[in-house]
Order: sequence, then C-alpha cells, then structure tokens
Amino acid sequence: MGLTRNVSLMTALRYKGQAPFLTYIMHRIGGSALFILFTLYILALAGVGSVHAVFGNWLFQIVFLFFGLFHAINGLRITILDLFTKLIEYQRQAITIEWAIFLLLYAYAAFVIVRNALGG
Amino acid sequence: MTATAKPRTLPMNKRGLNFESIMWIFTRLTALAMYAFVIAGFIGALIMSQKMHSNLADILLWAFFPNANANPLVGTIWITGLAKLMVIAFVLVVSGHGVHGVLEIIDDFFATPFARRWFRNGIITYALVVNVIAIYVIWTS
Repeated sequence: MGLTRNVSLMTALRYKGQAPFLTYIMHRIGGSALFILFTLYILALAGVGSVHAVFGNWLFQIVFLFFGLFHAINGLRITILDLFTKLIEYQRQAITIEWAIFLLLYAYAAFVIVRNALGG
Repeated sequence: MTATAKPRTLPMNKRGLNFESIMWIFTRLTALAMYAFVIAGFIGALIMSQKMHSNLADILLWAFFPNANANPLVGTIWITGLAKLMVIAFVLVVSGHGVHGVLEIIDDFFATPFARRWFRNGIITYALVVNVIAIYVIWTS
C-alpha cells in the first residue's frame, strides 16, 4: 500500500463506485460507530449510570441501530461471499438483498423505538 | 470497476499463509463468533423470559448485561458463571474484531509511518486496558 494519497475528500465522495462502494464506506462508518458503542458498553457494564441513560435515549438508539444493524448485515454478506467464493459474481444482487433486509428490519425497529419514545 | 465488470477473488490456496491472510480469516471468524454469541445469549434470555413473562427489552438486557440487577438468575452460581464467561468471551471477540477494523481504517487514512505507529499503539493499548477493566467488572459483579 502506498504512503501518499492524491485523492481529495471531495473527489472520493464523487467516486462512482455505486452500491459496493456505498456499502464499503457505510461498513467502515458503522464499524467506527460500534467501536464507540463498545466503549459505552464497557462503561455500562461497569455500572456508570449516565451511560444507561444514554442507551435509553431514543435518538441514540435510532442512530446506533442504523449503523449497528447495517454493519452486522453487511458483515454477514461479506463473510458469506468470502467463504463461498463462487457467489462473488452475484455481489450486486447480494447487496440488493442486503438492503432490502436491512430496510425492513430497520424500519420496523425504528417504528418500535419511536412508538415507545412517544409513550405508545 | 465498471458496472459490467466481474468482481474477482483470489482462492485461499493462492493467497499463502501470511499475516494478512491470518488476519483476514480472524476477522471473518470473529464476526461469525459474534453472531453465535448473540444468538446464544438471545436464546438464553428467551428461556428466562418464558419463566418471568418478561418483554423484549428485558430479554435484550439479560442477553448483553448478565450482571443487570433485574436479571432473575443473578445469584444462581453456575448459570451466572456461564453467562459471565460468555460475556467475557463476547467482549474479547468484539474487541479483537474491532481493533483490527479500526487499525485498517487508520492505515488507510493516515499516510505517514509515524501517525500509523502511534495510532496503532494507542488503539492497542486502549483495547488492552478496556479488556482488563471489562473482565474484572464482569467477573466480580
């Protein structure tokens, strides 16, 4: 891997890698978010009360559920395609299925979170 | 890669056994291990919920926080011990997977060897400290 980068952030954002690139970037953002969540999890295990309050916040739940769920589903797709290499030809179809599963699960979970937040 | 290009992959026997290959396998196996732990924890909590008539929120709380005060099995020594061991293993797997992932991201975004080395040292130190705290807290709670 080279040690220099000649690609600006704006150029990178305009890169037309389409669905595989979007999942790649979101997997990394999700992983970074989960690393923060991991720290909070340890603090919650240690009994830090304010962290439990953070976990109970509906906005926190919606944001981290988005990243966590996507990271988990996308990771499963990556693992399946890596372990069964003949399936790699169907990568784009797998991404479409992945998005469908993710959106269904996330929409339902977000609905439940918002309903509970509104006291329903 | 254009939309019509075929994605390519290299078979394992052509990759060779080096650090990159080992970490590649490690990342996949730890991901699968996390799914296994989550499913096992969830099933265990479901069994408890049948006795306690509890809701999904309690189930998830017990699955991931076996030392929670509301957990009816706190005090049941052998199950509590098993749950603690499972959560410790889960934490270790998560931190191993997470540290490797963060290091990959850092390697991609920080170009100089100096920055890479210090971020690498920092993240690994952080993970070690957090793991020690986590194991202590889980086992003694």
